[in-house]
Parts: sequence; C-alpha cells; structure tokens
Amino acid sequence: MVTRPRPRSARFLVIVLVSASLAVITLDYRQGTTGPLAALGRGTQAALAPLQSAVTAIIRPIESFFSAVTHLPTLQEDNERLRGRIADLEAERGSAPNWQELYETASGLLELRGANPGSIPATVISNGVSNFEWSITIDRGSDDGIQINQPVIAGTAESPRLVGRVIRVTDRSAKVQLAIDRRHAAAAVLGRSREIGVIAGRGDDDMEMSFVAPSTKVEGNEPVFTVSYSVNGQQGLYPPGLLIGTVSQLQADGNELERSVLVAPAVDFSALQLVLVLKPRSGDDG
Amino acid sequence: MIRRVVAIGAVLVTALLLQSTVFGELNLLGVRPELVYAVVILIAVLEGPSEGAVVGFAGGLLQDFLLNEPKGITALTLTLLGYGMGLARQYVSSPSPLLPMILVAAGTAGGVAFHSIVSFLIGRFDHPVTYGLRVVALTAVYGAILTPLVHPLLRRIAEGSRPRRVVRFS
Repeated sequence: MVTRPRPRSARFLVIVLVSASLAVITLDYRQGTTGPLAALGRGTQAALAPLQSAVTAIIRPIESFFSAVTHLPTLQEDNERLRGRIADLEAERGSAPNWQELYETASGLLELRGANPGSIPATVISNGVSNFEWSITIDRGSDDGIQINQPVIAGTAESPRLVGRVIRVTDRSAKVQLAIDRRHAAAAVLGRSREIGVIAGRGDDDMEMSFVAPSTKVEGNEPVFTVSYSVNGQQGLYPPGLLIGTVSQLQADGNELERSVLVAPAVDFSALQLVLVLKPRSGDDG
Repeated sequence: MIRRVVAIGAVLVTALLLQSTVFGELNLLGVRPELVYAVVILIAVLEGPSEGAVVGFAGGLLQDFLLNEPKGITALTLTLLGYGMGLARQYVSSPSPLLPMILVAAGTAGGVAFHSIVSFLIGRFDHPVTYGLRVVALTAVYGAILTPLVHPLLRRIAEGSRPRRVVRFS
C-alpha cells in the first residue's frame, strides 16, 4: 500500500537532501583525506570492520562455493589449459580441500613472514562495495602499526606476489587498493628481457604494462616483477622482486616509440584470505 | 517512529555488510550486484517518495563512507533514485508481481548510469564506456533476480514497523 505524500513537503525534503549531498561532495573534494568527512569515513569503516569480520567468518565456506560458481565463465576459458592438471589437483586436495588450501596458504605466508622481518600478517574481511573500485579490507589497523602506503603481498618466500598498497587506516582495520584497480600503477620489469615499464590495473581485465621499447623481445608467460627506483632521493613504494603476473598478450598498436603488453595477475584476488603487510618504504608512489 | 528508524537502519547496515562481504565475491561476468540500490528502490516502492529519498540519502552516505571516492555521490544518486522510484510507483497501477522486479531493474540501471556520469563530470570515472555500460546492464539484471528474495522481507519489515493507528471512541 503506497501512501500518497504531500507533494510540496516531499519536494522540499528532496531539495534539502540533494543540497546536503552536493555539500558533502564539495567538502570531501576540497578536504581530501584530512577533513572531518574523511575521519567520518574512517569511523564508519572502523565500526563496520568487526561486523564484516564476523560475517566473513560465518559465510566464507558458502562464499567459496558461490565464488567458484560465479567464476565459471572465466574457468571455462581456462578449462582446456587446466584439464591436464585436474587429476593431480584432485589427488592433492584430499577430503578437506578448504582446510588443506588454507594450511598451505598459511604455511607459505609464515615462510614469507620469516623472509620479511617486521611484516604483519592479516586476514581479509571485506571485498569492497563498488563495481568501480577494486579493494579489500584487512583486520589489522594503526593499533598493529599499519600505515598508509605500506605494500601488501601474498604467496610464499620463494615467490612473493604483489597484492596492492594500504590506502586507508583505522584503529583495527585497513583498506588495501589492489594492483588491478584502475587507479593503481607501479614500476615493473619483465623477468627475461629486464625491460622496465609502468604497469597499471584494468579491473577484472588483465593489467597493462606500458612504455616497453618496441624492439624488446617479449615472450608469452614471461613473469613481470616490481622494480625499485629512486627519484630525487624518494624510493618507490614496492620492494623489488615481487611477482606481479605473467605476460598474457602483446599489444599490437602500431606505435613505433613504445608498446604495451597485457599481464595476467599472479594473485587470485577473489580467493584472497591471508596477506602480509610489509614494512613501509620511504617514497610516495609505486 | 523510533522502531521504524531502527528497523530501516538495521536493513541498510545489513545490506551494506552483505554488499561488502558476500556480494563482493559474487563477481559474475566481472560485475557485482548492487544490493543497497535494490533495497532503496524497494523501500521507495513500498513507502513512497519521501521515505525513499531519506533512506536513499542515508544508505548512499553510508556506502560513500566505505568508498575511497569523493563522498556524497552515492548519497546524491540514491536520494534522487528513492524519490523518483517512490513517485513513479504512484503512477503505475499494475497488479503484476513482476512490477517490483521491473522497477528495481530500471531503477538500478538508471542509478548506476547517473552515478557514473556524476563521477565522470568530477573526473573520478576512469573506466572504458563499454565497462560502464556492462555494469549498468548487469547490475540491472542482478537487481531483478534479487528482488523476489528481498521484496517480501522488506514488505514484512516495513509493515511491521509502521505506526499503528489508534482510534478512540469517547
């Protein structure tokens, strides 16, 4: 049953709310990350973090199932390539695949932590709310020593992989911008040719590495790593040698000065559960 | 009144929690469902434009505070969406059970498109147009699919928290 409102009061209410929204947009745009609205944002994130953590703990087993179902189209594309490995994987998984997987991830992370003294392990408690932002929230915050711009990694000590960087911190949680986010960019190096370029996220599509010299011989599945640099005494954000992904496609754009390659991320961001936050490096950008 | 505010507030917080956990994983064809949009549209359809606008503003602001974007864009979008869908419902008298699904699909598509346009105008939309269109189309479809699950629940909550009219005979 719909109640008919008094049109004038409803219209006045909307004008007030729209004005309030426009005021919020303007204030936030002007004040950036230091204003009271940013503080309110951190407060909201801090208040919701324990609830997100609880919901994630309850629904993770169901979530894994749905995640597998919803990724079926992508899985179908990879089906042929993976078919040969299915039998081996099934034998390895045994009767309790999730626990086994989690154990392996945790073991790898422990090794990784051993190789990176001062790093902080964290659990993923949220996967972001927008279709236009690729981020996760972790259960560690400023109380644990987390700061903005700290690199976040996953994988093992032999193969540390880039996840992203911390972009917002509350007392007990932190938001991490993933390497696949369209606003994320980092200096990268091709594993075999040692050619350096800039890699940027493209959401769910493969990342794009630009500024590669056209004469460079790029191989399919060539690994791409982070690379360290220093500009005017400012170091890059990421330590060198973190695996970002592997070359999936060469872009033939006819540009004679530079070319770009597409890179498939090394981390399955949809299944990310445990990560490691590295000690901060001096520098502003990746 | 307080009971009503608490009930609708709890619905919004629950929707946002599910959006940032369960629905964050439901990444079908690279796009997530927009649960908060569906909740605002359905409340507007059930309760009218004034409540739609207020719930849209509150839900949008809450979602904005979790995003790393200029805050207020989702609040603006959902305020107008809640008002518009509440108003539209008054002029549609179809008894079809598919009507809420159609309204949610159309509203979500319009809302996501509006959000993208505002983001573009302030220089915060750096995605290809094809991706934007895919998000608009798929979130509309997902919203319609979610409606049969969310609509009965919201109707019960809205009716249960409505202030009862007391008629006294003296």
